[in-house]
Amino acid sequence: MSEALLSMHEITKVFPGVVANDHVSLDLREGEVLALVGENGAGKTTLMRILYGLHRPDSGRIEVRGNQVSIRGPRDAIRRGIGMVHQHFMLFQPFTVLENIILGEESQTAGVLATARQSKQISALMEENKLVVDLSAHVEDLSVGIQQRVEILKILFRGATILVFDEPTAVLTPQEVVDLFRTFRAMKAQGRGIIFISHKLDEVLEIADRITVIRHGKVVETMDREGATKPRIAGLMVGKPVLLEVPRPPASFGQTVLEVKDLVVRSPRGYDAVDGLSLHVRAGEIYGIAGVEGNGQSELVRAIAESAEVTSGDILLEGHSILSENVRERRESGIAHIPEDRQKYGLLLPFSIAQNLTLGMHHKPPFSSRRFTINSRAIRQSAREIISTYDIRTPSEDTPANALSGGNQQKAVVAREMSANPKLLVASQPTRGVDIGATEFIHRQLVKARSEGKAVLLVSADLDELLALSDRIGIIFKGKIIKEIDHDDAVKEEVGLYMTGEKAHGAA
Amino acid sequence: MDLSFIGFFLVKGLEISSPIAFSAMGGVFSERGGVVNIALEGIMTVTALTLVWGAITFQSIWIGLLVAVITGMLMGLIHAVVTVTFKVDHVVSGVAINVFAIGLSRFLCQSFFGAETQSKINPFLFPKLLGINSLAFWLIPAAALSWFLLYRTVFGLRLRSVGENPEAADTLGVNVTLMRYAGVLISGALCGIASATLFADKWITGMVAGRGFIALAAVIFGRWDPVGAVLASLLFGYADTVRIVFASKIPIPDQFIQMFPYILAVVVLAGIVGKSRAPAWDGRNYEKGED
Amino acid sequence: MERHRRRFGVYALEQSAPFIGFLASAAVLTLIIMGLGENPGKAFEGIYKFSVSDAAKLAAILSISIPYYLSGLSIVIAFRAGVFNIGNEGQYFIGGMVGAIAGTYFHLPPVIHIPVVIIFSMVGGALWALIPAVLKAVRGIHEVITTIMFNNIALALVNYLVNGPLSGLQKGTSLEPQMKKLLPTAMFGKLNGFFRAIGWNVPNYVYLDYSLIVAVVMGVLVWFLLFRTRQGFEIRAVGTSLDVSRYAGIQVSKVQIGAFMLSGAVAGLIGLQEIFAIRGFYTYNLASGLGFDGIAISLIAKNSPIGIVFSSALFAFLKQAGYGLQLFSKVPNSVTYAIQGIMILFIVAINEILIRAARSLRKKEVG
Repeated sequence: MSEALLSMHEITKVFPGVVANDHVSLDLREGEVLALVGENGAGKTTLMRILYGLHRPDSGRIEVRGNQVSIRGPRDAIRRGIGMVHQHFMLFQPFTVLENIILGEESQTAGVLATARQSKQISALMEENKLVVDLSAHVEDLSVGIQQRVEILKILFRGATILVFDEPTAVLTPQEVVDLFRTFRAMKAQGRGIIFISHKLDEVLEIADRITVIRHGKVVETMDREGATKPRIAGLMVGKPVLLEVPRPPASFGQTVLEVKDLVVRSPRGYDAVDGLSLHVRAGEIYGIAGVEGNGQSELVRAIAESAEVTSGDILLEGHSILSENVRERRESGIAHIPEDRQKYGLLLPFSIAQNLTLGMHHKPPFSSRRFTINSRAIRQSAREIISTYDIRTPSEDTPANALSGGNQQKAVVAREMSANPKLLVASQPTRGVDIGATEFIHRQLVKARSEGKAVLLVSADLDELLALSDRIGIIFKGKIIKEIDHDDAVKEEVGLYMTGEKAHGAA
Repeated sequence: MDLSFIGFFLVKGLEISSPIAFSAMGGVFSERGGVVNIALEGIMTVTALTLVWGAITFQSIWIGLLVAVITGMLMGLIHAVVTVTFKVDHVVSGVAINVFAIGLSRFLCQSFFGAETQSKINPFLFPKLLGINSLAFWLIPAAALSWFLLYRTVFGLRLRSVGENPEAADTLGVNVTLMRYAGVLISGALCGIASATLFADKWITGMVAGRGFIALAAVIFGRWDPVGAVLASLLFGYADTVRIVFASKIPIPDQFIQMFPYILAVVVLAGIVGKSRAPAWDGRNYEKGED
Repeated sequence: MERHRRRFGVYALEQSAPFIGFLASAAVLTLIIMGLGENPGKAFEGIYKFSVSDAAKLAAILSISIPYYLSGLSIVIAFRAGVFNIGNEGQYFIGGMVGAIAGTYFHLPPVIHIPVVIIFSMVGGALWALIPAVLKAVRGIHEVITTIMFNNIALALVNYLVNGPLSGLQKGTSLEPQMKKLLPTAMFGKLNGFFRAIGWNVPNYVYLDYSLIVAVVMGVLVWFLLFRTRQGFEIRAVGTSLDVSRYAGIQVSKVQIGAFMLSGAVAGLIGLQEIFAIRGFYTYNLASGLGFDGIAISLIAKNSPIGIVFSSALFAFLKQAGYGLQLFSKVPNSVTYAIQGIMILFIVAINEILIRAARSLRKKEVG
């Protein structure tokens, strides 16, 4: 039980502006579960994508059972016995379970599907691995937990001996987690190796044989289960608090600007993504929302900034409810929004920077006079001012937005929302995919907004960012704010533990 | 209302439905692979012409049919290249091909027959069965075959997977490009057959008269299923047959009766209850390696 | 300086699809001519002689391009908003009929009559676009199918009306079915005198009439709308990205319905020249296919209101060229239809390639 099934040596991968993996080495033995643990953005996903052939490493090598391999794509990976169960399933919703499993490897007689033999094969796999699914059911009718089993069967069917699970328990109920781990043990017994990526330290300690911790693209430590404790792991995950140099003037809070009362928002998947959430943000305050992705942050933001449908509860801006207001009205009321995905929601890429900088306000003077004509000169003048104030690197204000770098595009979005002089600024992942220079700049802008007496709601997966900027941090977990911590009391490991649901709920 | 009249009505309705039904089946194959094909009308216009030309030139309607099918596949190939390889918007390409087809058919007609708007008469026709073009009876086995091909073969499964989730299909080793091309080529071929069930004796400009677009409505109404699309086509076809057979007996002006199939199509589309589900990636272009 | 030159180069590259497509189509045409056993030089000479060799012929091209331009313009508005209005053919027939009703049955002083006729034509076209527009906004039904159905319904409807209640024929005449003759106050006068006065020798049989003024004015208005007003900005935003437009607070449904109906309104003007200047009465035997031609014209010009000036002139030229080819060589007239189609396909495909090339070139420059 000790031969290395998989060995990754000194894998390095650099993207523009960030070293995702920095000489990362890990190995996986037969019959073991290796937990891969680290914050969002630490490099775990990139590493696994390299393993699965979705990226090519800049240097380093991969060995399967002692043989060096070059993995050029998912098909290569599958051929070498590597299987991956992604966080976002790759299933064909209207098809049956059987069809999903055999697609690409169908057995046939002269082109006609002959699935009897394969059905038996799969039934045997189900038996061996303690996974039960109805082969004739349609995937879209199945619960998420069962859909995951289909994903697992897919890779087992293709003979995977190295199985990678990316946050598999994020979407499972506690009972389903029990079932999943039973499957893990069955697979272990067959000599397969499992890489288990997870935030949830309780689960890691329950099922993992060894644990590798990654931080900022480097492997910090690989430890045995024996002697591993939650605080030890959490401490290695977050490391020493990174002192982000963001000068913050002393706090001066005003009235409550945003109040969310017992908000319930139903997700199209059929459950309450926001489940009785309450919070409030005052003028001159930055309220940071910390949480593992998928706990309701996006739905909360959409409910506040985008007039998404709300099941019950209320959202109040300076005391009056905004639930009945459409997006334009909310902007008029004083809400500005830095969206999570600037290319999909924030910018009209073929349009010029100047035009993009007026989006959302284009219908008001001085940009539009008498609700009719557009004042091009005013738009470009205003754009020039904004470009220089916010130091947006662009050849001119007429350059199309798609010509700018990601960082400058984001700066433009931030600049636009800030110059709308809002009462409430909702910022979703404002520095995602943005280089260091622009990131620093955006942080300063957020602090400036705070100094100007605006209320800022900051949603971010970057814990260091939240800790540096927020006056208060609210940890969101399963659609509720389970704990609020003041800036001076916030300790990174503690926040991390709340995020993963480890600590008991405090007063909301 | 006697038995022979009912029989006549049933059979006539089948004949009138077949052009719509065959092209609708083609539309289903194309869209199941994820390529929207609104050029069915244009393709049929051209294949109807080459059918007549092929029949006259080779003195056999069956060769004419072969020529029509090949022409349909070639036209489909253009659409496939423009949308799948050059990634032009599917609707734009379809519109462009419809415009191209109008011009091409007039040009070919003038080249083959010396007149721009109508061809010579083709005396080589399909044998008649029960008083109608016997090709129309092929509709039933064709529908069954389409169903089987789509749901019971490896090809059909992979085609559907590409229209549903090309990224996942690609990961599993399915050749997305090849499948999309295949779906479009099949739709072209079926348009060839469809035009043969229309009027095989002569080609006149405008003879397709919007059937290619009614076929699109049939695809939607039939929920992108070949049998459903054929049933929807039968609905339109029989409604049209009612119009033709009873026209003289109804006190409504002729032109309003002519409008009937088109109004029906709009009403049907407007009244579809609940969101009928197109293949998830229908109409969207897929680029490999979208990181 | 080098950067500016490079940037202009990238921009020029991106816009060059129509030109490259045109050249490629000319090459195909040459091949077809040779394939038919003709001498290309002789064929092109024939084209030149018939279509552009003197002032009168150029005037003819201008005249023919007027309805093409209006048709293209109707599509520019729609496509810019992301609305696939394929129904401009039906909107043109209905709009023309409604305008003709105003021109035949309303008794108004001359100065008012013509503007009223124009407005009624626009209203007719817009109303014919209304139902497909609403079905799209409310039920999400794709407008390609509904507008095409409405084309067919329109043809049957005008057939009925012109043969029936609106008929202007005496019993037993053998003229084509038509409405009553237009009142003289509604007729569009000719501008030939004006052109002759400024030195352009336009013969009387060429129709440079008031519809030319309408086309120019509508062109300017549409350009102004799209690029100088807030509504036009929103139209272009919606046509670029529904998601971003919603995020910015733009009411997407309203914008699309508005653009759709405006597109129909302009389509209603397509028949002005033929009905009010050339014929003097309305018939359903108007030039058909102008609707689809407008789609081609707009696509070739990348949906630009200025670009369609050139592509509509191109179509007019091609029409004449076809006759020229036929008169002076063995090449049949209809080859021009085939070439039109080939040109569109070339241009849309090449355009897509060039846009991607330009995008990656830009990314390289900025890093």
